Amino acid sequence: MDLPEENQSLPRRRFFINGIKALAALFGLGLGIPLAGFFISPALKKDKHDWIEIADSSLLKDGEPSRINYSYARKDGWKTAQTPRTAFVVKQASGEFAAFSNRCTHLGCGVNWDSALKQFKCPCHGGVFDAQGRVVEGPPPKALTRLALKVEANKIFVMEA
Amino acid sequence: MGRIYQFLDERLNLTPLLRDITDHPVPDHANVLKTRSAFIYCFGGIAFFIILLQALSGVFLMLYYSPTPEDAHASVTYIQNETAFGALLQGLHRVGASAAVIMVLLHMLRVFFTGSYKNPRELNWVVGVFLLLIVLAFGFTGYLLPWDQKAYWATTVGLNMVANVPLIGDFLASALRGGNEMGTLTLLRFFVIHVMFLPALLAIFLAAHFFMLRRQGISRPL
Ligand code: HEM
Ligand code: FES
Repeated sequence: MDLPEENQSLPRRRFFINGIKALAALFGLGLGIPLAGFFISPALKKDKHDWIEIADSSLLKDGEPSRINYSYARKDGWKTAQTPRTAFVVKQASGEFAAFSNRCTHLGCGVNWDSALKQFKCPCHGGVFDAQGRVVEGPPPKALTRLALKVEANKIFVMEA
Repeated sequence: MGRIYQFLDERLNLTPLLRDITDHPVPDHANVLKTRSAFIYCFGGIAFFIILLQALSGVFLMLYYSPTPEDAHASVTYIQNETAFGALLQGLHRVGASAAVIMVLLHMLRVFFTGSYKNPRELNWVVGVFLLLIVLAFGFTGYLLPWDQKAYWATTVGLNMVANVPLIGDFLASALRGGNEMGTLTLLRFFVIHVMFLPALLAIFLAAHFFMLRRQGISRPL
């Protein structure tokens, strides 16, 4: 290498360093976006919900929530999984039916109906809800989740929230 | 970035290390800007780059892939059809596998025709042969993973070839197959070989390859 070239080489060096950085950034983005999208893609999927038949309305007692176990087919990755759920269904004074998910709104334990006290009680951290699902005491931040419900020909259908 | 680097550099004195790794002068005969035919010296580096892409796309594909006969094919279909960029990453990994083998072979030809395998670089050639075998083993084990007809029969044929090794052939084939019939164990061990054993071996041999390369420098021009 002779001298003139040596003198010239600094700007050229910087040009190459910047070029390499730009190329690296391009590759980083070109790969980073697809990889991140691929990773989070299940989180972007919306679950599809259908009506699920869970009970015969004639079997329900007035004012007393009945615990009903049911299951529904859920798309689980590339499979379909039969997913167990529990709801409390009650015929209210108005004659309307209501369904509550048994999942406590605090951290998701299954609540139980205390028929003596007419309250839902959570076994985990002392959450208590009234017969309408409203918080009475304890840490739960909001009322029990009400499931969409419809009655057709004496059959009760709910939809997962 | 500059400030973070400065912070680390003041404490850890990184600059000499980085200079040694990234700022290595390339002799004129291997420099594409000086010698037109020098691109043949890029083949090893390109192979390495492709292998890095394979590692990256492979790790991400494992997020969805399930190595059981019941699930494998459905999980690959799921990757292709129901994940964001899944078809792109799966395609990249598949095309990359072929590209890696091609670049390694071209690199080997370069080393051969420039006589670079000669003293003192014989050991690096030997390590290189292991690298070639490892890359081929990646291809062979990976090919089974989609668990479709082509995968199944290609592996049947491949394992029958192994069974033709004199004396220990049958034993070798059943060890790889995990028994006498292809099935659950075959798929699982091919998967584990593909994502655990081979990457570990590859890392060890690549480290040896690059260590010797830097100790000895690139071979002189013909
Ligand atoms: C995983 C596959 C491999 C990778 C990533 C790789 C990478 C590299 C790189 C980056 C170099 C620097 C020079 C160049 O790029 O041409 C190199 C040099 C070398 N490689 Fe490989 N290599 C691989 C496989 C092989 C194989 C299969 C052989 C031969 C059997 C081999 C033998 C050598 C030798 C002898 C050198 C020194 C060449 C010289 O000093 O001119 N390598 N390798
Ligand atoms: S989960 Fe029900 S009170 Fe905490």
